Amino acid sequence: MTVLAPPVEERVELLDRIWEERPGVLGWLTTVDHKRIGLLFFFTSLAFFAAGGVEALVIRTQLAGPDQRLVGPQTFNELMTMHGTTMIFLFVVPMGLGAFGNYLVPLMLGARDLAFPRLNALSYWIFLASGLFIYTGLFVGQGPDQGWFSYVPLALKQFDPSLGPDFYALGLIFNGLSTTATAINLVTTIFKLRAPGMSLNRLPLFCYAQLAAAGSALILLPPLTLDLVLLELQRKAGFHFFDVAAGGSPMLWQHLFWLFGHPEVYLIVLPAFGITTSIIPTFAKRKMVAAPLVALAELLVAFIGFGVWAHHMFSTGMPTSALVFFAAATFMVVIPSTVQIYAWLFTVNLGRPEFRTPLLFVGAFIVFFVIGGLSGIMFAAIPFDQATTDTYFVVAHFHFIIFGAAVFPILGGMFYWFPKVTGRMYHEGWAKASFWLTFSGTALTFFPMHIAGLLGMPRRVYTYPHGLGWDGYNLAETIGGFILTAGLVLIAANLVFSRLRGAPAGPNPFRGPTLEWATSSPPPPYNFAVIPTVRSEYPGWDDEALFEDRRRLERGLGTYPDGHRQPEATVRDAYPDDVADMPSESGWPVAVAVLLSLMFALTLTSHFVAAGVVAGLAGLAAAAWLWKEPAE
Amino acid sequence: MNVFAVPARRSRARGWWGMALFAATEATLFGTIFGTYVYLRFKAVHWPPDGIASPSITIPLVLTGVLLATSAPMQLASAAARSGRARRAQALLLLALVVQAGYFAMQLQRYADDVQAHPPQLSAYTSITQLMVGADHFHVFVGLLLNLFLLAKLMDGRVTAYRRTGVQAAALYWHVVNALTVVVVLLQLSPSL
Amino acid sequence: MTGTRSGAGRARRRLQLLLPLGLPLLATGCGRENLLDPASPQQHKIATLWWVMMGVAWFGLALIGFLLALGWLRRKREGLPGGGGDRVATALVVGLGVAAPIVSLSALFVWSDIFVMRATSAPNPSSTSLTVEVTGHQWWWEVRYPGTRAVTANEIHIPVGARVNLVGKTADVIHSFWIPKLNRKIDLIPGRTNRIVLEATRAGRFRGQCYEYCGLQHAHMGMEVVAESPARFRAWLANMAKDAAAPSTSMQRQGREAFLNEACSGCHQIRGTDAHARVGPDLTHVASRATIAALTLPNETGTLAGWIVDPQHDKPGARMPALDLQGPEVQALVAYLESLR
Ligand code: HEA
Ligand code: HEA
Ligand code: HEC
Ligand code: CUA
Ligand SMILES: [Cu+2]
Repeated sequence: MTVLAPPVEERVELLDRIWEERPGVLGWLTTVDHKRIGLLFFFTSLAFFAAGGVEALVIRTQLAGPDQRLVGPQTFNELMTMHGTTMIFLFVVPMGLGAFGNYLVPLMLGARDLAFPRLNALSYWIFLASGLFIYTGLFVGQGPDQGWFSYVPLALKQFDPSLGPDFYALGLIFNGLSTTATAINLVTTIFKLRAPGMSLNRLPLFCYAQLAAAGSALILLPPLTLDLVLLELQRKAGFHFFDVAAGGSPMLWQHLFWLFGHPEVYLIVLPAFGITTSIIPTFAKRKMVAAPLVALAELLVAFIGFGVWAHHMFSTGMPTSALVFFAAATFMVVIPSTVQIYAWLFTVNLGRPEFRTPLLFVGAFIVFFVIGGLSGIMFAAIPFDQATTDTYFVVAHFHFIIFGAAVFPILGGMFYWFPKVTGRMYHEGWAKASFWLTFSGTALTFFPMHIAGLLGMPRRVYTYPHGLGWDGYNLAETIGGFILTAGLVLIAANLVFSRLRGAPAGPNPFRGPTLEWATSSPPPPYNFAVIPTVRSEYPGWDDEALFEDRRRLERGLGTYPDGHRQPEATVRDAYPDDVADMPSESGWPVAVAVLLSLMFALTLTSHFVAAGVVAGLAGLAAAAWLWKEPAE
Repeated sequence: MNVFAVPARRSRARGWWGMALFAATEATLFGTIFGTYVYLRFKAVHWPPDGIASPSITIPLVLTGVLLATSAPMQLASAAARSGRARRAQALLLLALVVQAGYFAMQLQRYADDVQAHPPQLSAYTSITQLMVGADHFHVFVGLLLNLFLLAKLMDGRVTAYRRTGVQAAALYWHVVNALTVVVVLLQLSPSL
Repeated sequence: MTGTRSGAGRARRRLQLLLPLGLPLLATGCGRENLLDPASPQQHKIATLWWVMMGVAWFGLALIGFLLALGWLRRKREGLPGGGGDRVATALVVGLGVAAPIVSLSALFVWSDIFVMRATSAPNPSSTSLTVEVTGHQWWWEVRYPGTRAVTANEIHIPVGARVNLVGKTADVIHSFWIPKLNRKIDLIPGRTNRIVLEATRAGRFRGQCYEYCGLQHAHMGMEVVAESPARFRAWLANMAKDAAAPSTSMQRQGREAFLNEACSGCHQIRGTDAHARVGPDLTHVASRATIAALTLPNETGTLAGWIVDPQHDKPGARMPALDLQGPEVQALVAYLESLR
C-alpha cells in the first residue's frame, strides 16, 4: 500500500455519478432502479387498495341493514367482483412481491439491483396498464360482474354478453405477465446476486419467503392463464371447452381456477410471513427460534399448496375418494403454518421484546392468522364445508387470513421500513393509536361474519330480507368497516406527515439484523458503496464484518467502480465468480408496455388482425431493447 | 483473502437462469394444456367425436424427429459460444435455423389445412387439439425469431458475455420446446396410436 | 334414539352457554336458516361437528393468546419461564407445531371425513321412499315429483320422517341447493346430477336459498321445504297432480282468456289449458304457494298484481318482462291465478 488510495468521498462520488438517473418525470418513466420501481409498485398498489377499499365500503353500506337499495344488483355485483379482483391481483400480490420484494430483496442480499432491472421496469408498467385496463371496464359501464372466480357457464357469452368478463380475462392475462416477470427476477436475483459469503443457509428468512412465493408464482400462474385463454377463445372465437353439449365441461374451469387459486393464497401470505420473520428478531433482539424449520416451512407451504385445490369444490359432487384425498391434503398443509406460528411466538418469548408498532402489527397478525387458520381447518371437515361453503363463514375465514394475516404484516412492514425508505422516523404514539383502531375495527368487521354465515347468510347477495337474524351482525360489520378505515387513514396520515416532518432516522434505528440496515437511509442508487461480505446469518449484528466492509471501502476493494457492475455468485455458496454488467435506464419497457396495452385493447374489441400487428410491433420493440448490450 | 478473484470456469449466468425459469413456467403452461386435453378426453365417450377422422401418424412423427435433431446444433452452438468461437456458433445456429424454418413452414401448411378441415369451433376435441398444436407451433416461431436475433448479434464476429449467455439461453429454450413438442405430438396422435 | 339425541342436545346447549361464540347465537334464537338448529339426523351430525370443532378452536386460540400474553408479561426477562433456551423452544415448536396438530387433525379427519360424511353423502335410492327433482333456473326453482304429474316451484313438500331422495339439476348456470336445517348443500351443475337426502324429523317450513352466485338475482332465489305429516303430504301431492281448476266466475274466465291471449302462455304452463310453455314456473296451482318469485314476495292479491304489472320492480333482472297490461286485465288475471289452488 504505497500508493495513497483516493479518499472514500471520491469513491462514493464516482459511484454516485455512475448510478445517477435522470431527474423528474422522465426519470421515473425510464428508471430501472429497483427501489424506485418498488416505490412505484407500492404507491400504485396502495391506490388500488384504496379503490378496493372504497368498493368494500359501498358493499358494507348496502348490507348494513336488510332490503337496502343504495346500489342495484348490477352495480353491486360489479363492485363485489372488482373488490375481490382488485384486492387479490392489484393490491396484495403486487404489494408483497412488487413493492416489498422489489425494494428489499436486493438490499437484504447485498446486491445493487435485481437481476434484470429493465424487465423489472417492464413488469411495473404492465402491472399499471393491466390495472387500468380492468378498471376501464368498470368506468365504461361494462365492469366484470361474474365474481372473482368467474365460474362458467355464468361467464360465457350466452349468460353474460357484456364485455365485463373480457375485461376481466384479458386484464388478468396481462397482469399475469407482470407477476411472472417479477417472479423470474426475484428468483434469479436470490440465486445469483447474493453478496459473497451469503450461502443458502445464511439467506435471510424474508428472502426464503420471497423465493417460495416467487417460485410458486411461476407454477401457479399458468393454470390461470390457460383458464382465461380458454374462456376468451370460447367467448370470442366460438371454441368449446366449457359447454357440455359440445363435449366440454364447466368443471374444467373450476379445476384450473383453483389449481391456481389455492397456491395463490399462499403466494399472498408468504411475503407477509417474510415480513414477520424480519420484524420479530429485530424487536425480540435475538435470532429466530428454529430458523431452518421456518425456512423449510416457507418452502413447503408453497409446495403442498398445489395439492389441495379441490377443497374449494367440495359441494360439486366429486367422487368420495377425491374428496377424502383433498381433505387429507388440506389437513397436511396446515403443519408448516403451525410450525411458523410457534417459532414466532417462542422467539418473542425467549427474547426481550420491545413492543413497538411493527411488533404490535405482527402480534395482531398472529392472532388473526390463527383465527382464520382455524376456520380454514374446519373446511377440511368436508360435511362442515359442504354446509358453510358460499356463506359468510367463508368470507370471515378469508378476510381474517387475508386482511388479518396478509395485510397486517404489510402495515407493520410499512412502519418497520419507513425509516429505511425515507430516512425519517414515524410518530410512535399515533402509530400505536392507529394500530388499536385498525385492530379493533378488523375484529368487529370480520368476526360477526362467522355468525352470519352459520345463520345461513349467503355471500354475494346484494341485499337480504329482514327476519333471518342477520341484521344485527351486518350492522356491526359495517360499523367495524368504518372503524377499520379510520385506522387505515390514520396510518396513511402518520406516514405522510412523518415523511415531511419526522425526526431523522439514521441508517439503523431498530438495530435490524439484515443487510438493508447496513447502508444509509434512504439507500443510495447503488445500495452499497462496497459490496458487503457475509459471514453469519445476521450480518447486521456482525459488527466485525461491518467494520471490515468499511475498511474495504477505504482501500477501494469491492466497490466495482467501472460501470453499472456488481458481482455474480454461485447459487449454493454465493462464491463470486463473475461480474455482472447491469443495464442502465431505458425507455423501452414503457414502450413495450404501451404496445401490449394496445394489443389487449384491440383483442378486447375483437380487432384480431390489428392486435396481431401490434403484437409484432411489441416484439420489434423488445428486440430493439435487447439489442443494446449493458456493457456498451 | 481475495474473495473477488474470478475463477476460470464460471457458474451459469443470470441470463441462463432467467431463461430456465421462463422455460419452467412455459412448461407448466403446456402441462396444464396436456392436463386439459386428458381431462376432456376422459369425459368424452368418443374421442375424437363421431364424424372426425383420427389423425394420421407418419408425417407428424417424422417432422418431430427432424425438429428434435436440431437440439444437437443448438447445443454445439452453445458450447462454441462458451469457448468464444463466434463464427462456429453462428454457423451452427444457421444450420439449426434452416432446419427449424423448414419444419415450421411444413407444419404451418399442415396446420392451416387441418384447421380448415376440423375447425376448433366444431367440438371440444378440435378446440383443445388445435389450441395445443397451435401453441406449440407458436413456440417454435418464437424460437426462430430468437435464433435470428442471435445470428444478427453475432454478425461482427465477437462473443461478448451478453451474447454467450444469449446463445446458451436459446439452446435451453429449444431443448424445452423440442421436448414439449414430442409430448404435444404424442397426445395429438394418441387417438390413432 | 330420542334419548341419546336430547342428551347430545343438552350437551350442545351447555357448550353454547360456556363458549362466547354461543352467546350471540342463543340471543338470536333460531334463525330461519340457522344451520345449528338441525331438523334432521344429518344436519344434527354436522352441527355437533361444528360445536366440537369450535370448542377445540377456542382452546387453540386461547393457547396462542396465552403465549402472546406471556411474551408481553415477560418482556423484560430473557428465556422461557422454566429457564429453557433455544433447545427447549425448538422442541416445543416441533411438539406443538407438528405433533399436536397431526394427532388432533387425524382424529378430526376420521370423524368428519369418514363417519359424518358417510351420513350426509348422496343416499342410496333404494333407502329412500320418495324422489323429488329440483331444477335450478335463473332465479327460481322448478320442483317435480317423478312418477306423478305434480309440478310446482320454489316450494318442496315432503313427509316428515321419510327419507327423501332429492335430485338436483340445472337448466342454465350453476346454482347450489341448501336447506341449512336439513342437510349439506349440493351444487347444481350443467351436465351433472347431484343428490342429497332430506329427512325432516319435525314438521315445519325450512327456508333455503341458492348459494352459488348465479347472476343478477342470486340474492332472490329462495325456496322452502315444507315438512308435513304423511297424510297431509299425500293430499297435497294428489292436488298438485291434478289439472287446474276451471274458472268459476266471469272475472276468472276473463283472466284465463287474458292469460292465454297475452304473452303469459308463451312462458308459463297451466295444465288443463292451452298454456304449455316451460320458460317460467308452472302456475297450475300457483295460489297454493305461500310466496311468489322465489320467496321474494308473499303470495297476496296486492303483491301478485304488483308482480304481474312490473316484475322488474321487486326483482330487477328477473326473466319475466313487464307487459303493458291494462288495470282490468290485471285484476282478471289475479282473480284467475288466485283461483288456482
Ligand atoms: C392468504 C390467504 C389464505 C390463506 C393463507 C388460507 C389458508 C387456509 N385456507 Fe383458505 N381461503 C382463502 C384464503 C386463504 N386461506 C380465500 C381467499 C378463500 C375463498 C376463496 C373464494 O371462495 O372466494 C379461502 C377458502 C378456503 C376453503 C374453501 C372454503 C369454501 O369455499 O368452501 C378452504 C377449505 O378447505 C380453506 C382452507 C384453508 C386452510 C386449511 C388454510 C391453512 O393454510 C391455514 C393454516 C393456519 C393455521 C392452522 C393457523 C395456525 C394455528 C395454530 C397454530 C393453532 C393450533 C392449530 C391446530 C391445533 C391445528 N380456505
Ligand atoms: C386482499 C384481499 C382483500 C382485502 C384486503 C379485503 C378487504 C375488505 N373486504 Fe373483502 N373480499 C376479498 C378480498 C379482500 N377483501 C375477496 C377475494 C372477496 C370475494 C369477492 C367475490 O366473492 O368475488 C371479498 C369479498 C368481500 C365481501 C363479501 C361480498 C359479497 O360476498 O357480496 C365483503 C363484505 O363485507 C368484504 C368486505 C371487505 C372489507 C370491509 C374490507 C376492508 O378491510 C377494506 C379496508 C380498506 C380500505 C377502506 C382502503 C383504505 C385505504 C387507505 C387508507 C390507503 C390510503 C391510500 C392512499 C392515501 C392512496 N369483502
Ligand atoms: C318471457 C317469459 C315470461 C312471460 C311472458 C311471463 N312470465 Fe311469469 N314468470 C316468468 C319467469 C322466468 C318467472 C320466474 C321469475 C323469478 O322468480 O325469477 C315468472 C314468474 C311468474 C309468477 C310467480 C310464480 C311463482 O310461483 O313464483 C307469476 C304469478 C307469473 N309469472 C305470472 C305471469 C303472468 C300473469 C304473465 C302474463 C301477464 C306472465 N307471467 C308472463 C316468465 C314469464
Ligand atoms: Cu341460483 Cu344463485
Ligand atoms: Cu384453498
